[in-house]
Amino acid sequence: MIEFNKKIYKLEAIKKAAEEFKNLANIRIKETGGYIKVTFDKIDSEYKEVLKDEFTNFVLGMLS
Amino acid sequence: MAKNKGFDFKIKELENSLEFEINPKIYSLNAIYKTAYFFLDKVYVFLSGDPKKEIRVSFKVKEAGLDLKKLANEFYNELLNQLLREKVSYSNSKLREFIVAKALYNAVPNEVDELLKEVEEEDWQEDPLGIAKTWEEQQREKGEKSKKGKRSKKGKKKAK
Repeated sequence: MIEFNKKIYKLEAIKKAAEEFKNLANIRIKETGGYIKVTFDKIDSEYKEVLKDEFTNFVLGMLS
Repeated sequence: MAKNKGFDFKIKELENSLEFEINPKIYSLNAIYKTAYFFLDKVYVFLSGDPKKEIRVSFKVKEAGLDLKKLANEFYNELLNQLLREKVSYSNSKLREFIVAKALYNAVPNEVDELLKEVEEEDWQEDPLGIAKTWEEQQREKGEKSKKGKRSKKGKKKAK
């Protein structure tokens, strides 16, 4: 699970990233308090090691 | 968390990762985003903390053998670069808007240009109403016409 700070990361960017990564895992987005929680299930075995990190980079890329 | 020699910022070295903090009162969040974007191909970057108090940047290696400390120092340099860009962009915004507006204005053909084009396309050398002729020329032509008219009337009478 990744917790994105709402004050730093925008929900729109996270949603777009989830859309891009939907073929590699089941992704769930949940807003709780000041955070956006993203959970990953059934991650493609080929990308298991890097998927979450690549996801965070992708979201950051959308923000800049 | 160790203090970086010569600079007053903290770097926390973990296994294959590194954390450091940025003061958002000095560096804007936008500058931090743009700087982070520069490093996305080398490391995994994650931002956390409070944008009003302190932003924490986490680096995680993509490939083994990367000097994360060196990258963190480069991050600070790039941060300054982005901050300067932001300030120059802000101070030149009016000038930039003016240049873009002028370029767009010139790109769109205006009414005056279209009228001029129409005039150029017209065959102005033709003068069906004889406006460009001098008074003398006009009188001479009138005289010639009246002579021709008289001759033709005489000719018609003879034929009869």
